[in-house]
Amino acid sequence: MSNIIEIKKLRKVYGDGLEVMALDGVDLIIEVGEFLAIVGPSGSGKSTLLNMIGILDTPTSGEIWLKGKNITKINPKERARLRNRELGFVFQYHHLLPEFSAVENVMMPLLIAGVDKKEARERSITFLEDVGLGDRLGNKPTQLSGGQNQRVAVARALANHPSIVIGDELTGNLDSKSSDMVYDLLRELNREMNQTFILVTHDMDMAEKTDRILRLVDGKIVSEMLRDGDGFVTHDLCEL
Amino acid sequence: MFEWTVANRHILGNPRMVLFTVLSVALAVAVIMVLMGLTEGYKENLISNTVENSPHITVDPKEDEDYITLYRTLSRIILEHPEVEAVSPRLIGKAAAKYKDNVEGVNFVGAYPLQEDKLLKVREDMIWGDYYDLRFKRHSAVVGTDLAEDLELKRGDDFRLIRQNRSVRVTAAGFIETGTGLDQTLVYLPLETAQDLLGEGDVVSEAGVRLTDIYAAPAIAADLNLETRYKAQSWQEQSRDILEQLDTQQVYSYLFYLLIFIISGFGIANTMIMIISRRTKEIGILMAMGATRGSIMKIFILESVILGPPSALLGGALAYVAARAIGTIEVPSEVYIATHMTVVLDLETFAYVTLFALLVNLVAGIYPAYKASNLDPVEAIASE
Repeated sequence: MSNIIEIKKLRKVYGDGLEVMALDGVDLIIEVGEFLAIVGPSGSGKSTLLNMIGILDTPTSGEIWLKGKNITKINPKERARLRNRELGFVFQYHHLLPEFSAVENVMMPLLIAGVDKKEARERSITFLEDVGLGDRLGNKPTQLSGGQNQRVAVARALANHPSIVIGDELTGNLDSKSSDMVYDLLRELNREMNQTFILVTHDMDMAEKTDRILRLVDGKIVSEMLRDGDGFVTHDLCEL
Repeated sequence: MFEWTVANRHILGNPRMVLFTVLSVALAVAVIMVLMGLTEGYKENLISNTVENSPHITVDPKEDEDYITLYRTLSRIILEHPEVEAVSPRLIGKAAAKYKDNVEGVNFVGAYPLQEDKLLKVREDMIWGDYYDLRFKRHSAVVGTDLAEDLELKRGDDFRLIRQNRSVRVTAAGFIETGTGLDQTLVYLPLETAQDLLGEGDVVSEAGVRLTDIYAAPAIAADLNLETRYKAQSWQEQSRDILEQLDTQQVYSYLFYLLIFIISGFGIANTMIMIISRRTKEIGILMAMGATRGSIMKIFILESVILGPPSALLGGALAYVAARAIGTIEVPSEVYIATHMTVVLDLETFAYVTLFALLVNLVAGIYPAYKASNLDPVEAIASE
């Protein structure tokens, strides 16, 4: 397998008075098709790391390489283009656009990419059918349950066939049934389409369903657990 | 273009905010259109009043002379001009009118009815009697309606015109209503009667000229000045002061309109800032989905601009209604130059005002849109 993401000595410092070290020299390689969880206590820097991988945020120092390309110093337009083509985001709250129906929400990344409206609609309908919402196409977010909205959000994240799907506490706001449903969906897509999934969570049950768990503490990756059959093998990566 | 789709949906999703934004611009448009229309109406009324109720060109006596003696020859010379429609020698002056115990100051105009009618369409303004009767009834007069009312003069009553130590007795043979202040002082007399009252012999004080094209007046007046030694003045020259004053006023008015638009622009900007602050999170999500800063800017500028045309249309409609309402109000002729104020609403004015309204919407949208496009996506998504 080839590397889709390479992170080298990544540091992020917030604040101009009292400085907070959100990421402190993170090195990480993620391969194509990985299903990976990032865990850690709040404030450990896991969301920051995710935002860096999602090209929403820029590091203070260090480098991020996406598909062999250094994306640390690219211009805003190119960043936007990469977010649109290579990345799909699912957030803790669905963050759907309230004035748009389910299918229109899923269409949005396609329309941003310049896909023809008719084609975008057809492709979006297929995705919504895949997440089991084929009969809810015209419903607005207020007319759907939390779980349904989150599934629309997943469909939206997948609409443009991104190479990486990023989830920030994406099941944090769902009951366990909806949560399992969303997880199964992602897992299936991971197997079928070989898309890379990176999930940030502090739900260990959720994390243990992935293949690789990275544990972040104080902006450092302190340990890594790799799936070995039904269990995990733990490697300590740095001293606490 | 997804920016258009999003902008449209935002607009439709916020009917109340949209309503107030549209109203603020529509009101500005309406107020400006009505004000511009009133000024234009005043100007048109003034011109048509001037042109209808006074000669297009007035030829005055030579310098150092009080009257024109050779007025018949002068009339013939003037009539040789192809653009001249009519010439009427006139003797005008001031006198007192006395009827029973009532005395009023009057401006009398002595003229040949046929020629004077060609000059000023006198008969069109007659509400009783025939001006042409003055051709045969030497001691009769046509009296302005308001003057007749002030004198308590009835149809066919005799009254007296007094000037210095001379006086003539005339019969009210007709009443005239021009709809202007003239109605309070005007008395038409046969030329000979006016000459009797004046006592200077067979003279006139001016020759009035009517032209086929009122805007040719300055050129023809200049010609007449070259050809004769009499002093010809076009109506533009005679009302130059007031026309110039109107133009000066126009400059102030434009500044005033600009201010109105600026104020409504702030209203729009304020609404846009509110809309954007409510949609911060959404903007972050759109950015996460790959919308560029340019796209975000486009969305919110579009939202602001989309509201322009409906605002202008509504404003235009309001202006139309207001103009109709203003047109029905009767105003005393001492206050205004005509009995009704005219609001002139032409498409050209509407087009300019609309264009300006769009511009205001655009400019007012730029800053909020720029702020929106500069949001940090991470902070925007995390915002509450």
